[in-house]
Amino acid sequence: MAFDATSYNNFPSPLEGKGRMPASCLGLEEATAAEPRDWGAAGAFALWRAGAAHDPRPLALVTVKAWRGERGGFSARGLKGLGIDPAGVIQVRAEKEAEALWALEEALKSGAVRGGIATVEQASLVATRRLDFAAREGRATGVLLRVLGSGDLSAARLRWRLKAEPSAPHPFDPRAPGAVRLTAELTRRRDGPLGAWELEQDHETHRLGLAAGLADHGLVQGRQAHAA
Amino acid sequence: MLSAVNPAARALGLSLGQSHADACAIVPTLTTAPAEPERDREALLRLALWAERFSPAVAVETSDPGYEGLTLDMTGGAHLFGGEGALVQEIERRLAAAGIPARAAMADTPAAAWALARFGDDRLAPEDRAREALKSLPVQALRVSDNALRLLHRFGLRRIGDLYALPRAGLARRFRGEEGMELVRRLDQALGIEAEPLEPVRPQPLYRVWRAFAEPIIDMEGVAWALPDLVQALSAQLDRDGKGARRLVLTAFRVDGRTTGIEARLSSPVSTPTHLLRLLKERGLERLDLGFGADALMLSAHRTEAAQARQADFDGGQVQGGRDDLAALIDRLSARLGDGAVLRPTLRDSHIPERSEAWSPAGPDPEPQTPGTSAAGPRPLFLLDPPEPIQTLAGMPDSPPAQFSWRRVTRRIARAEGPERLSPEWWRAPVPDLSAEEAAVPETDAGKAQAKAALILEVSEAREREDAGVTRDYYRVEDEHGRRYWLFRQGLYDHGAPERMPSWWLHGVFA
Repeated sequence: MAFDATSYNNFPSPLEGKGRMPASCLGLEEATAAEPRDWGAAGAFALWRAGAAHDPRPLALVTVKAWRGERGGFSARGLKGLGIDPAGVIQVRAEKEAEALWALEEALKSGAVRGGIATVEQASLVATRRLDFAAREGRATGVLLRVLGSGDLSAARLRWRLKAEPSAPHPFDPRAPGAVRLTAELTRRRDGPLGAWELEQDHETHRLGLAAGLADHGLVQGRQAHAA
Repeated sequence: MLSAVNPAARALGLSLGQSHADACAIVPTLTTAPAEPERDREALLRLALWAERFSPAVAVETSDPGYEGLTLDMTGGAHLFGGEGALVQEIERRLAAAGIPARAAMADTPAAAWALARFGDDRLAPEDRAREALKSLPVQALRVSDNALRLLHRFGLRRIGDLYALPRAGLARRFRGEEGMELVRRLDQALGIEAEPLEPVRPQPLYRVWRAFAEPIIDMEGVAWALPDLVQALSAQLDRDGKGARRLVLTAFRVDGRTTGIEARLSSPVSTPTHLLRLLKERGLERLDLGFGADALMLSAHRTEAAQARQADFDGGQVQGGRDDLAALIDRLSARLGDGAVLRPTLRDSHIPERSEAWSPAGPDPEPQTPGTSAAGPRPLFLLDPPEPIQTLAGMPDSPPAQFSWRRVTRRIARAEGPERLSPEWWRAPVPDLSAEEAAVPETDAGKAQAKAALILEVSEAREREDAGVTRDYYRVEDEHGRRYWLFRQGLYDHGAPERMPSWWLHGVFA
């Protein structure tokens, strides 16, 4: 798995270095929502994985019409709230999934974007392999954002399962939701151990980081990895 | 009434404007068809587009009924077709092959060419010999009005040559004002003393290349084979002037006298042959309906801008190349998915969520951002458009709901933040002017009450229609599982009007 040195800085790891979360690789990843209702968490995680902040190239978001009607479209202000500059985002609205896959492949291959996210549900093994190849060719990270997770074969190097978690306590108002929290479970990985991590959004930098303030430094102990 | 007569009928003595009955009396074996001027005009327009294979400036002449035709400006272009004589013959040949009998003539001025084509025997008036060529043509060839024609005949002036000898001032005086002026003007136009501008059917592109083929191209492979050559030539023309194309049109001229084409737009001016070629291929060459075959292809750049000078920098070289790559990517995606498919966001200075951002077609450079209102609260990652209705169990008046149902699933709310009140932008929504309406209320009491009720209903409906005209209270809520939603209540609880209960909606989903 290629290790992109520039993105390494985005992943504050616990001091012990135990079970470090894999960095964004140059290739294809998959972010699946644990349950269909967790698409918000899956979307935020996919955005986090798809682009290292140091890369000046823009980010490509490929959405499919059916998905947009069902779950809504990306909001520029929402992206800003996750630490992604809207000026560096390009949205591609496709009518069908096949078009979206083609658009993602073109974007990754061109080398003009630092990462691409596509909201496609059905991606065959061949398609994922092509996407992986295109991502490596263009030195970018591709992420497939899936909501109806299926266990079918995929050539993605890392496969994640996302779940929204109750948020951190709000510093001033006990009744208000605090910092965004979610659990990212690595269900498949070509080389290296699997694991699960709890992530929290840092309210200063708006980026996701390992949850602080937990005794186990964010490592989720004792959770079995679900069937990959 | 006859609106068009063919040469054979003309020879038998029929003319335009004659009544049908008279014509049938003169020629019992006359064949007629009902006139369809609209379709004739359309057909002529299509033919004009086809004639663009000879020249980019083609004008349609429909001012004289019965003598419709096309005028092509062949300035400087006749040599491409083997000379003027060969050109005239080729036009007639191709039109005849397409089933359109036509007469073509060529001269120095549009008026002289018009006259020769319709009334002359010679098809070609050599340079500066227009006077001689026109001498023997009848005066109708000058396109003067009927009155003037009658007067000319009365004076025994039947040929254009007869007019040459007469003093022009005398002509103008004799024919009483406007007609005289028109006659003199037409004569001057025919002889080249006065200019007659042509109005081409389509604006001329500055850059165009075209190729004719000995054998008509019948399928896409043929087009794909001929295309690189065309693109190379166009690119060379653009480079020569330091321009890049923003709009490309590929036109195929079919053998049956019609044209078909595809168009591609570019987000930034480009003249690289590979980029242009790829863009046209992505647009879909299969969209060209070649019919029985196309014997010429034309590639034109309709909108050009100065191309950015590309220079390889030391370390910025990659960024520069990145911009070109991005422009190429955007063009490819737009060509295949449509113009509105590739978008970039702009943040706007409005706190209404629907108006606070806009997605517009992308270019390789980021959109300029206006400094927006950053005092707003957190915004969701996904926005539903339009917001979906939900049913809530909420305390009144301002507290967030305890639970809500969306898409028939009930979710209990564990934590909530809000309300964030977004009032309508009063400076935008026009308020109906009630005083002016009241002035139109009728006199009788019953009538007054009725009108007033109707007015109130109208105003309230207008208010409801204008969603932006209603205050919204937004809540950021989290359910027991940790999923976060953005809800809003549209409207305020109004104790005075219990029938207008506010409605609840889901607008977005947070991370």
